Amino acid sequence: MLRLTGLRQRYGAREVLALRHFEAAAGDHWLVLGASGSGKTTLLNLLAGLLRPSEGTVEVGGQSLGALGGAALDRWRGRNIGIVPQKLHLVSSLTVLQNLMLAPYLAGLPADRKRAEMLLGELSLKEQLRARPGELSHGQAQRVAIARAVMNRPKLLLADEPTSNLDDANCTLALSLLEEQAGECGATLVVATHDNRAKARLEKCIEL
Amino acid sequence: MNLPALSFAYLRARPLATALNLLLLALGIATITLLLLATAQLEERMTRDARGFDMVAGAKGSPMQLVLSAIYHLDAPTGNIPLAAAQALARSPAVKKSIPLALGDSYRGFRIVGTNHDYPAHYGAVLAAGALWKEPMEVVLGAQVAAQTRLGVGASFKGAHGLSEGGDAHDEDDFKVVGVLAPTGSVLDRVVLTSIESVWEIHEHGKPPAGGREITALLIQYATPLAAATLPRQVNANSALQAASPAYESARLFRMIGVGADVLRVFGLVLVLVAGLSVFIALLNALEDRRYDLAVMRMLGASRAKLMGLLLLEGAVLSLLGGIAGILLGHLLAEALGAALQAAQQPAVTGWAWQARELWLLALAVGVGLAAALLPAWRAYRTEVAPVLAQG
Repeated sequence: MLRLTGLRQRYGAREVLALRHFEAAAGDHWLVLGASGSGKTTLLNLLAGLLRPSEGTVEVGGQSLGALGGAALDRWRGRNIGIVPQKLHLVSSLTVLQNLMLAPYLAGLPADRKRAEMLLGELSLKEQLRARPGELSHGQAQRVAIARAVMNRPKLLLADEPTSNLDDANCTLALSLLEEQAGECGATLVVATHDNRAKARLEKCIEL
Repeated sequence: MNLPALSFAYLRARPLATALNLLLLALGIATITLLLLATAQLEERMTRDARGFDMVAGAKGSPMQLVLSAIYHLDAPTGNIPLAAAQALARSPAVKKSIPLALGDSYRGFRIVGTNHDYPAHYGAVLAAGALWKEPMEVVLGAQVAAQTRLGVGASFKGAHGLSEGGDAHDEDDFKVVGVLAPTGSVLDRVVLTSIESVWEIHEHGKPPAGGREITALLIQYATPLAAATLPRQVNANSALQAASPAYESARLFRMIGVGADVLRVFGLVLVLVAGLSVFIALLNALEDRRYDLAVMRMLGASRAKLMGLLLLEGAVLSLLGGIAGILLGHLLAEALGAALQAAQQPAVTGWAWQARELWLLALAVGVGLAAALLPAWRAYRTEVAPVLAQG
């Protein structure tokens, strides 16, 4: 499902990531562990097609990302990859529901309000349907970001530092939510973190 | 969810900035709209008032003053002319139609015009009530006069010396209202019509003047196009009268008014451009605030072109709303100006008339908005997603 081959990423002369080979099957849950600056976020950006690798190839579900470009890559990403960024980045001018509805619209998929409401219900956010991101707690905002990431039933779900600044209980909750939602979509989950607490939860791990 | 919904959501989330930009744009467009309406309507109205009259003969003095007083009933007359001289001119083969006017008195600021039945007939006036005057001291009221004075058929009033409000009243003679005209959209709406004999009766006190009777002006329609070249010259050179051309003097007046209107129009354009600059600054600043929003949209599958379209649409939506608000405000101001002018017994303008040129104003507003959004939209297009998300 996910295959990386001879992957290298350089910024000028500085190499920030080198990964000879990596494969993950559909439904696998992987942890990418590493200290700050080890290239975790860079790896997630390469997997999402937000960065072009300096060398090597990235294949997701049999699709080589290098073969796609411009608007086609953007659309493919929107339909096949769900991303929970570290800072969550909910669109502040939209309501919670609209933030979720944004995902299918931007990916060129039909609107699916029922799924958005179902996801918000599953994540205990039904009361916050019409709230703006500024009115949410961090935990609520994180759940909205997860719901938005799985809205289009992605093949690959990426989460960048989802447990930073969370206490133990919320760390467990965030990881279990990601696993649950990835499981419901049958998606491969890749969580990048420097938080060792995640090791106990996710069995497969690569260290950078 | 669609691009307009996204644009509206963003504009709604910043009500103060959006309202200020709208206000600025609306003020510029309203200024130009008001000028457009006022000049077009006044020009149309003055053309309508002068239609069918090729020449005005009156006492020597300023030809523009003569035209303003005799055609539009706006200025004081240049004086009176001998009735005999006017009658001689009316008999000229170069004259097809002539209408005498005798001015001098008013009622509550509305001019009392001594004339004959040809005058209302010239404007196609129709009676709303009563009949035209038959005897001296019988009057017919214009529609605006009747509405503002609340006089009707059967009412009587005393005229006052002079053509503006506040003149001494003629104590001894009462005018009797015998008819009210339906609105004509012409100068007739704001005058009181009576016979020339009424005006003589009031001022002569039973003793005709030693030098013979006088009238104020003679409105003339030429018998042939050739008369335009010969008759005014003849009148000016060979008599105590003055000939003035309504078309020429009106055009001269509009050229003079036009300079002021042009200055105001430029002022309105400057306001629109300042508003465009404000929209530009607002969108550019907003771009900094929205880098993450835009990066997230790319992350979710939006193409660069879609983001560029979003920003351009926001500029267009903002300017379209500002343009519509400006045009409505312009019409509101025109209506208010019309009410003030009507109260001052001047030719009124209305906010209920629309000009096709206003669509160009809307296009101008949207053009300014799009131009203002171009650079922010280009910067949104060029945004790299990964570094922005990493910075957040």
